Amino acid sequence: MYKPAGFDFSNELRNNFLVEKGLPLPKATSTGTTIVGCLFKDGIVLGADTRATEGPIVADKNCEKIHYITESIRCCGAGTAADTEFTTALISSNMEMHALQTGRKPRVVTAMTMLKQMLFRYQGHVGAALVLGGVDATGAHLFTIHPHGSTDKLPYVTMGSGSLAAMAVFESGWVPDMERDKALALVKSAIAAGIFNDLGSGSNIDACIITANSTEMLRNVEMPNQRVQKERNYKFRRGTTAWKKEDIRSLVVDEQVTQIGGDEMDTS
Amino acid sequence: MPAMVSTSQPVQQSFNPYTENGGTILAIAGADFSVIAGDTRQSEGYSIQTRYAPKVFRLTDKAVLAVNGFAADGNMFVKKVRQRLEWYRHAHAKDMPIRAIARLIQTMLYARRFFPFYVYNILGGIEEDGTGAVYSFDPVGSYEREACRAAGAAQSLVQPFLDNQIYFKNQTPAPGTAFPKHLPLSTVLPLVIDSFTSATERHIEVGDGLEIYIVLSKGSTALQGLQTVRGVQELTATNDGERVFVIRRELKKD
Amino acid sequence: MFLTRSEYDRGVNTFSPEGRLFQVEYAIEAIKLGSTTVGIRTPEGVVLAVEKRVQSPLLESNSIEKIMEIDTHLGCAMSGLTADARTMIDHARVTAQNHAFTYDERIKVESVTQAVCDLALRFGESVHDEEAMMSRPFGVALLIAGIDELGPQLYHTDPSGTFVRYDAKAIGSGSEAAQSELQDKWHRQMTLREAQLLTLNVLKQVMEEKLDQHNVQLAQVTPKGFEILNEASLKEVIEAM
Repeated sequence: MYKPAGFDFSNELRNNFLVEKGLPLPKATSTGTTIVGCLFKDGIVLGADTRATEGPIVADKNCEKIHYITESIRCCGAGTAADTEFTTALISSNMEMHALQTGRKPRVVTAMTMLKQMLFRYQGHVGAALVLGGVDATGAHLFTIHPHGSTDKLPYVTMGSGSLAAMAVFESGWVPDMERDKALALVKSAIAAGIFNDLGSGSNIDACIITANSTEMLRNVEMPNQRVQKERNYKFRRGTTAWKKEDIRSLVVDEQVTQIGGDEMDTS
Repeated sequence: MPAMVSTSQPVQQSFNPYTENGGTILAIAGADFSVIAGDTRQSEGYSIQTRYAPKVFRLTDKAVLAVNGFAADGNMFVKKVRQRLEWYRHAHAKDMPIRAIARLIQTMLYARRFFPFYVYNILGGIEEDGTGAVYSFDPVGSYEREACRAAGAAQSLVQPFLDNQIYFKNQTPAPGTAFPKHLPLSTVLPLVIDSFTSATERHIEVGDGLEIYIVLSKGSTALQGLQTVRGVQELTATNDGERVFVIRRELKKD
Repeated sequence: MFLTRSEYDRGVNTFSPEGRLFQVEYAIEAIKLGSTTVGIRTPEGVVLAVEKRVQSPLLESNSIEKIMEIDTHLGCAMSGLTADARTMIDHARVTAQNHAFTYDERIKVESVTQAVCDLALRFGESVHDEEAMMSRPFGVALLIAGIDELGPQLYHTDPSGTFVRYDAKAIGSGSEAAQSELQDKWHRQMTLREAQLLTLNVLKQVMEEKLDQHNVQLAQVTPKGFEILNEASLKEVIEAM
């Protein structure tokens, strides 16, 4: 049976019918997020918080939002978690294919173009809002890519629900040709602004510093929201859970083995 | 050029006077005390409006009211309850008993049956017989006296925890023993704190600060243990009747 | 008093130059024409007793109603223009019910008394063009008996809207003699039974007819509630006198 590549739309009609009948579609995990990127003297610093939410509930306290595209290109994702994860993984694969095909280190614009073409094709239904950054033969590049496929190329960018809080920090603190440490500190405080002022963002700070000859993934570079010690122990006494029926079965099978041939197993 | 023809359909304009401001409250009644607590974050959507907006209010020496939902309605409701308590004090020369406050709150809420105060109320305090009491209300005045209740954004996270730890739901006692009917304050306070730190971990609208009010019955034995608790502050001036204390704690701010 | 009679006794809301409201004073006088009514407070409860003037042998004496229930814990005896008392007791009943509805508790004796007295002062009250709701003061005095968290209490109200708490009080035509008798006989540790007997003895002394179960009515408020004694119980008390 022929199966085309890509998304399967065969349940579309049925699901629309179910929605009409009043059965809502399951809610996707959203990384109501703060993600940022900023250009500095030697390259790019990307930053992200680590909170994933389902409505008002924190689904993951320490998720990774800086995704691998190539060794020197990384992409922060905001929006529907599945979409950002899948889209960046897909483009990562295609970038690797492209690199093998061309025998060159692929460029950031290539990833950007592949991403925007994919997102435009799906007319915003793939809910990925991305900050793409990296260094290639042509220099350091930083882009934002919106769910409908539009892109921007800017020296400092923010996205997600905490984008305004983070952008406030960039607008007051960003200067051209910053040193690495200063750029990292600025990114950290931009993410921190999102973490503390935007309810959709929280927990820890991830950062990634990409320069021409190295990529440093700084996972949990700051952890300003450690869980406090609980006041009580919640260990339950053995036998706390009630049961209706006790049934103990022996799973040991008694087997009578009669040796017939004397040959050893042929392992050649 | 074609004539201008209005093709637009009538459009219904609407204004929604309510918002939801997040946060969570809870109250637990002991044998001779009552604990009423709430976080202090006030939010709208993904924004924090303030990190300190009290949701728990002392009404009298023996009654504390926690209000959660639409903050503007909540504050106005507390103001109106306080006004009624003062009128009552002038008319009847006594503080209103908590049972009477509970009924008054019902009549005040039901009076707005068709334009309700968008708030969930939990009233905690000491009954006339000296026992700890918790009354919980829905926005239009249905109420009930209980031993414990959580309400607000993280109700669905906290109430099952309280059911398990206070009512010992889904727990079987050790053979030959029984679960206690009332827990001591030294157990209840840690449970309240853990409820809020845990709700803060998993609910985005809970955090910033925690205010715990403790009302002790006259001569309550919980007093000794309470006075050693970090940061406890007494709000009552005399020690010959019910006594009200408050504990303020920080919660995570992300 | 009649020496200074002038135009000032016409309006209910006009003070005389001497600072008196004649209509209110006349209303208080009207009570002195009423039948004698006695109330006694004891630690066990409050007893109310009234004389029923049976003007004709054809009159059905049990149709004379001078003691009424306000709430389960509140009773009321009257003297004077008893028809006016209906309005006041209606008001007291509504106040008591409203309190129970709003606060889920029994209203205090003082609070209902206050409510009744607030009403008593509403005469002559009108907003410029409107007709006044009440044209004159009430011509009745009440003895309000009840039990609340402060224990058994007895209040006296008069047409001026004044109320005072008493241990024992007599109102009506024989009140002067009755009151001095009460002053002699009342003591702090009186039992309910003693109070029942004392009220009847006091009434007996001021009544013209011979006291029997048809021309007096006896009621009490105890922790069990308000209760008008039925004919059998009343007869039993009378026989014990």
